[in-house]
Amino acid sequence: MKFGVIFELSVPRPFANGIEQTVILNALEQIRLAEELGFDTAWAVEHHFLEEYSHSSAPELFLTAVAMQTSRIRVGHAAVVCIPEINHPIRVAERAAFLDILSGGRLELGTARSSTWTELGGFEIDPDTTKATWDEYVRVLPKMWTQERFSWEGNCFSTPERAILPKPIQDPHPPLWVTVTSPGTELDAADRGIGCLGVAAAGFKEQDRRTKEYHRRIQLCDPVGAVNDQVSTLNFLYCHEDLKTGAELGMQMLGNFGLLNSHLLFTREAYPSRAYATLGNLAPSQGKPDAKSPGAAVGIPEGMCIGDPKVIIHAIKEWESIGIDQINFMLNAAEVLPQEKVLESLRLFAHEVMPAFARETR
Amino acid sequence: MQIGTANPDALAENAPRLSSLDVEAVTLEGLELFQLLCEVKADGLLEALPPALHPTIPGVLTWLAYRFDESPWGPFRLAQTRIECRSGTRPRGLFVAGVIDNEAASHALAGGWGYNLRMGEIDLRRGFDGVDLRVSVEGECILDLAMHDPLLLPPDSLQFVSSLHPAHTPAGFRLVQVDPVHHINRAERGEPIVNLFDAEAWAVPGLEPQYPISAACGSGSLTLGKLRFLCRPGELAFTGTETV
Repeated sequence: MKFGVIFELSVPRPFANGIEQTVILNALEQIRLAEELGFDTAWAVEHHFLEEYSHSSAPELFLTAVAMQTSRIRVGHAAVVCIPEINHPIRVAERAAFLDILSGGRLELGTARSSTWTELGGFEIDPDTTKATWDEYVRVLPKMWTQERFSWEGNCFSTPERAILPKPIQDPHPPLWVTVTSPGTELDAADRGIGCLGVAAAGFKEQDRRTKEYHRRIQLCDPVGAVNDQVSTLNFLYCHEDLKTGAELGMQMLGNFGLLNSHLLFTREAYPSRAYATLGNLAPSQGKPDAKSPGAAVGIPEGMCIGDPKVIIHAIKEWESIGIDQINFMLNAAEVLPQEKVLESLRLFAHEVMPAFARETR
Repeated sequence: MQIGTANPDALAENAPRLSSLDVEAVTLEGLELFQLLCEVKADGLLEALPPALHPTIPGVLTWLAYRFDESPWGPFRLAQTRIECRSGTRPRGLFVAGVIDNEAASHALAGGWGYNLRMGEIDLRRGFDGVDLRVSVEGECILDLAMHDPLLLPPDSLQFVSSLHPAHTPAGFRLVQVDPVHHINRAERGEPIVNLFDAEAWAVPGLEPQYPISAACGSGSLTLGKLRFLCRPGELAFTGTETV
């Protein structure tokens, strides 16, 4: 099991007195500590216009700072929006290669198409086209990284022969992922031989079904590049010695995240389209607690990594048993937890929970 | 996070009155509907929502028009304006005003589900090249919308969220949750056109449409179900929601 940390860079109102800088600097401090403690990857999302929920509009810059302040932890772009009005595919390839070089070959590149009208409308993007543009991007990115010269005549962009520079230093290229919010995207990932970067918290049963189908299907894939057959899932981390305190503060973080997420305008809600079959809402499931978990007594929802170390170990063992390769943790939501508590939680997790999972498998 | 600041007392002023919360469900056949969503500027949005509700990002107005060729109250047409919002984490539309052309239907809908309606003319026309909707009150046009270049969609592509209707109820002044179920058997989406919206006439003087998002039309039937939830308008949903 690998452990990652993932950042939305959510910012509470009012957006004044340097609060955005505080959020960004706190996140960088958390990542430096995460590296020291043995976490494997630090991811940053790409979102635009999502007031309070996510101010991470330039993750390539944030991740450059991560790359320069760390030496071992992998650097995850989770994920670049593959729509020409937002990111031209050649610029995506160039920036990713640059970041791979600057990080010494530590880049993981997630791909996405955006699920909110808030973002698509802001760039005047036709929602019907985003699945097709994403597909074109993931097919050309490995070519741009590995071919000395590249030319393309496609549906969303064309270019005469050019050298796309620089080239990444990972051989043959950085691992590719796709963010999975809507059920079924895991099949798109499998068919293309790319990793499944879960960003919507699903319950055990649903994740088990998706993971099994992904692993079955990727055996038959037509890979767009080097195959990445890993499945990661999103979770929330708040670890405290006292179960009740851990649950209370962790649930505050979960609730705050869900509330901010729900205020976004999801494409499905605003624009009838076959391309957006579900809301793509990322709010964590507030389903029933896992009756077998010691966290059930305090109402911790199934699979959530909040509470005391015992509860968190129980949840991770469940995720491990269904074939999840990596869990990426959100550590805070709009600064509802003070920075010192987040750092203490990370330290306690590393001390009490990580040893329960064999290092060699991580 | 953002929370509405409208004074609930002001919302209560012209709100309809429900004598009972035990309304019988009714299914209305022969529905033709038209829905248009449009972004509004942020100015005035918080002032239009009561403290129970959060705005969406960005703010959105929805216009929804129905035409029924038959009903227990005779044929009628109805047009409504809603502000898309959130009650806690749930998507909802705050009903701000409506226009109807059948007095018996108006009385039944106001008394049963809290529809705040005025009498007027609703001209809803669907052609092969699009849809036109014009709403007039006392001879003045207060809404003029259109949809051009329709494209056929699977019927389940259309999304409708539950409404919150400010109304006086036996429990006090509340936002009454109305959950209309639209059974759609044909759906189209097209280019949304907003020719005219008289915000003052629709009781949202501070709201200015700025960017049409989508327009859709469909046909089928509509079920107005029994009431299930009420919201206290001055309180967030987590503590202010009541079960009927």
